[in-house]
Amino acid sequence: MLAFIARRLVVSFFVLLAATFVMYLLVAFAGDPLEELYFDTSPNRDAKIEARTEALNLDTPVLLRYLGWLGGVSGCVIPGAECDWGLTATGQQVSTLIGGAIGQTLQLVIAATVIALVLGVMGGVVTALRQYSSLDYSATFAAFLFFSLPIFWVAVLLKQYVAIDFNNWLADPVVSTPVTIILGLISGGVWMMIIGGDRQRKQATFGIAAVASAAVVWVISATRWFEDPSLGPVLVALMAIGSALLMTALLAGFRYKRVMYATLATAGVGIVVNLFLDSIVSDPSWAIIALLLLITIVVSGGIGAAAGALLRRQAVTASIFTGVLTAGIIYVDRLLAAWAGYASSVGGRPIATFGARTPGFDGGYWQNTLDTATHLLLPTIAIALISFATYTRFTRASMLEVKSQDYVRTARAKGLSERVVNTRHAFRNALIPVTTLMAFDFGAVISGAVITENVFGWQGMGKMFIDRLFLPDPNPVMAFFVITGGAVVVFNMLADIAYAYLDPRIRL
Amino acid sequence: MTSQMQPTTAPATAPEVDEAAGITVEARTQGQMIRRRFIRHRAALAGLITLAFVIVLSISSIGIDPPLLPKIPGWWDKDFTAIGAVVDGGSPTLSVVPTFLGGEGVQLGEHPFGQDNIGRDYFALTMRGAQISLMIAFIVGIVATLAGTLIGALAGFFRGWAEAVLMRLTDVVIAIPLLAIAAVISRRAGEIGPPVMAVGLGLVIWTSLARLVRGEILAIREKEFVEAARAAGTRASRIIVRHILPNLIGVIIVSATLTIAVAILLETALSFLGIGVQAPDTSLGRLISEYQSAFTTRPWLFWWPGIFIITIALAVNFIGDGLRDAFDPRQQRVRE
Amino acid sequence: MTETYVIVPEVDAPAGELLRVEGLSVNFPTEDGVVQAVRGVDFTLHEREVLGIVGESGSGKSVSAMAIMGLLPKTARISGEVYYRGDDILTMRPRDQRDLRGRKISMIFQDPMTAFNPVYTIGDQLAEAVLAHELMPRKKAMARAEEMLALVNIPQPKERLQSYPHEFSGGMRQRAMIAMAIINNPDIIIADEPTTALDVTVQAQILETLNEVKDAVNAAVILITHDLGVIAGTADRVLVMYAGKPVEVADTDPLFEKPRMPYTAGLMGSIPALEQSAGASERLRPIMGAPPSLINLPSGCPFSPRCPLATDICRTEEPPLAATDEPEHVAACHHWQKLAEVDDPTQFFRAEGEVVR
Repeated sequence: MLAFIARRLVVSFFVLLAATFVMYLLVAFAGDPLEELYFDTSPNRDAKIEARTEALNLDTPVLLRYLGWLGGVSGCVIPGAECDWGLTATGQQVSTLIGGAIGQTLQLVIAATVIALVLGVMGGVVTALRQYSSLDYSATFAAFLFFSLPIFWVAVLLKQYVAIDFNNWLADPVVSTPVTIILGLISGGVWMMIIGGDRQRKQATFGIAAVASAAVVWVISATRWFEDPSLGPVLVALMAIGSALLMTALLAGFRYKRVMYATLATAGVGIVVNLFLDSIVSDPSWAIIALLLLITIVVSGGIGAAAGALLRRQAVTASIFTGVLTAGIIYVDRLLAAWAGYASSVGGRPIATFGARTPGFDGGYWQNTLDTATHLLLPTIAIALISFATYTRFTRASMLEVKSQDYVRTARAKGLSERVVNTRHAFRNALIPVTTLMAFDFGAVISGAVITENVFGWQGMGKMFIDRLFLPDPNPVMAFFVITGGAVVVFNMLADIAYAYLDPRIRL
Repeated sequence: MTSQMQPTTAPATAPEVDEAAGITVEARTQGQMIRRRFIRHRAALAGLITLAFVIVLSISSIGIDPPLLPKIPGWWDKDFTAIGAVVDGGSPTLSVVPTFLGGEGVQLGEHPFGQDNIGRDYFALTMRGAQISLMIAFIVGIVATLAGTLIGALAGFFRGWAEAVLMRLTDVVIAIPLLAIAAVISRRAGEIGPPVMAVGLGLVIWTSLARLVRGEILAIREKEFVEAARAAGTRASRIIVRHILPNLIGVIIVSATLTIAVAILLETALSFLGIGVQAPDTSLGRLISEYQSAFTTRPWLFWWPGIFIITIALAVNFIGDGLRDAFDPRQQRVRE
Repeated sequence: MTETYVIVPEVDAPAGELLRVEGLSVNFPTEDGVVQAVRGVDFTLHEREVLGIVGESGSGKSVSAMAIMGLLPKTARISGEVYYRGDDILTMRPRDQRDLRGRKISMIFQDPMTAFNPVYTIGDQLAEAVLAHELMPRKKAMARAEEMLALVNIPQPKERLQSYPHEFSGGMRQRAMIAMAIINNPDIIIADEPTTALDVTVQAQILETLNEVKDAVNAAVILITHDLGVIAGTADRVLVMYAGKPVEVADTDPLFEKPRMPYTAGLMGSIPALEQSAGASERLRPIMGAPPSLINLPSGCPFSPRCPLATDICRTEEPPLAATDEPEHVAACHHWQKLAEVDDPTQFFRAEGEVVR
């Protein structure tokens, strides 16, 4: 497998090299960097032209210019050599320009990819299992709609309705009775479609879900929950127990109780530990959070191993998932605790519409994380919509194809339960083609980032690219191509590794 | 919506049943079967009708002004460049609520889609935008289909170094995010004019079709009927025309349709970013870009072009889905 | 091997009777109409018996087997009764049905190339079949898997446990499939065209292995095939299916010597290598035409359009399965006597003049 990846890497390197050449020519063709200066009326116009010509080597032929540029950039990959991205049209170092931009774009792209991947695969599995149900049809229509939405248009809508209007509402977070009822009905409909079943069961689901959701909305409104949102120890405990049961149901079933005991114990430990965590996590660093996560995984794995007996494998997996989910719930709870403080320090308008973070803001770990999250929210949604639709449709198709395979029938013939057939046999195999989609989709996410960064005013790679392309200013534009191209190559490699991990046939 | 989507997803049957059912259905020609399956795909049919409506509306309303040919006027009396007095804050006069329901009656009014801040008729502007966006999308679709088919076919037929070079070229283009490479090309081409820009865009989004065509050809080459034809001494050109092209046509048509959907969104995105269609001409993306800041004061300036983009893209996507089902009911993948 | 739970009480079943199928019908609603895949199948399977089910593709033999296993898609409409040791499988709770599946009734599929999950090792997949029905340490399940691989003559079974399906040859995979089918000591093994996808040389080996292991675990076998040659050497009793119904049931030897249904005779005339009774011609005597549509069955006997003996009554009245001149030999034909009168029942089918095998 190493040889396989190495070969792919070498091929990708040369592909990337060729791509830089093509792009260099195209960028040179795209416009003359001196263009704006021709209309300059200032007395030192000629000097400016000369300086820019000098900085960008405009008097050398484009091929030689490319070689010179390549020589400088190759220093960035060859260890020990000096990294030179060239100069901008105004004579700055390009490297200072891209330094901060990479981080912002990376944040955006990774958040969008992870969210689209996780939710999309889940959506695909659910719709495949509910094929030809109203849920399936609605999801199909939604996917087509998402495919057809212009990202920039969605971004402007999100800005208005999710940010500005929501922020306005936060000033007086009360839900009116008609809205409560409508929200309840919508939620009832969605749950009815997800759970399915016969007519009677659907009606029952609809009724219970609608009333419960309306009640939750009413409580949120009546307690003015959004002014100082938090889950509180009781809700945290309930949600932790819920995730324990969910993981048991998904990974082991309830036929033998051992796994359930393990996950419940894990959730219990999480709930109790949470009560004594205050001093450690009042203002932690990312390192402490990572360490806590690691401890969570080790401890929950240990609980699973100890309680699992003959079902140790399932118990360990289910416990670890429960542990991580519980930790996640606790994390969200603590994040919400910081909400009121954060909201007041940004003038009561927490959902941001501009930039990657509030300039000059520092309110400790939790508030800073909230700051990043609220800035990420809208652009991430805008980018992730299309990818989410792609993953949903693709996973659904893949899952349906796998479900009609002979080996799934064999699995049923062994007497395995539907749960095991669907998770161990169908889902596992359906994931294989999804990894190849990951590589394809990454390029689309970067394209999406270019648009959203411009709409939401992020000083990322995409905004730099468009701004500099306007001038035009070739070196920053080329830096964008090299970095995104490199990211695509890396992502392709990750997809290859995931593929090889999932499919033993290519390990040969 | 349930009924709308129904044909996409005919009930699954056991393989044994498929065999058995296959015996009963009287022989239909390939073309008849494709047409029948497409027409039964109601979403696709609705998409086709919607798209036809948008095309006819945009062309007939403000007419067309083709280069070198005389201008053909439309039934709408206002020009998209004409500046006028802003009436009633420029709000739309279109009304669809009949008078007996308390509305103003079904009427277009003076400015059905309203006016922008300098009094231009927004219906005419939107129609012009739709025309340009559609034209670009179709040119992109045609150019990309020709390029993709040609490159994929050359790679598939000739194998060897030609295949290696062409497929690596495909890899090169795929390695670059589509929007970025399209932006670089449109930077200059957009200034020259929309058709030039369209050709440029077409020359960058052929990659997936090229891969599909090559894959199909490689698969078809191995099939028994091609082997048989070759063994019988049939000329290569005849094998291509008689055996390989008919099998490719489905893949090509479906891909061309989906390319048009991608192109609509790509062009509008570029124009939104200011890199595509340039003033004084306009496109749906450019309209949104120009008036996004007017969202709170004159929301119609934002909504109309957006609705048209979504309608067109959705219609084309549904047509593509219907065509895919019609050509190959077993293939379920959405977008490769 | 210890059973941790027993769901199936043994009641009401005559001694030696394992499976009794009564009036089994399966319909599939499709866009073109209702496909009547199985139209009333009755048979009884006794302990350690090998029952062959023969028919062309689309005759409903595989669908019947899938119905017994509970593996048909949800769109299938199933009616009738399938008694396993006195309990009706079709009306059982799904969970009880699942407990029978793979433990008491197991199945071997046609295509060994696709019947294994490509991403798990053979050992994993065999052990999974054990663990699905019994809680035991994995090691023990693996040991059992190894034992089974040895039983079906796979060399180096211990090493082979770690292999993936793609590392096995077709014949080896089918052996592994047999190993998986017997791993829980089932009462019934349903083998659905187990040799069809294999090379001729491998076919005989697989049949032999199947014969050996069914004796090793004392299982009865339902052997589904379209190949009379496979049946001849293996089955104790044969059920011939046509258009979703049994048309002849008899012990193997009488069936081959004295078929009482023209379709059976036609099948025999279609086989080049089959040894026939004295006076058989060397030429192939195939059945003309194709099996009928299962949506629009012809009126009367469904075989009548292809039958050389068909008369008016055949086109109006579908003959029931009725006793013939021998006890325990039933056939669904108005004219079985005509077959009884001649020495070579295949003679009614026109020999293909030009085509000599």
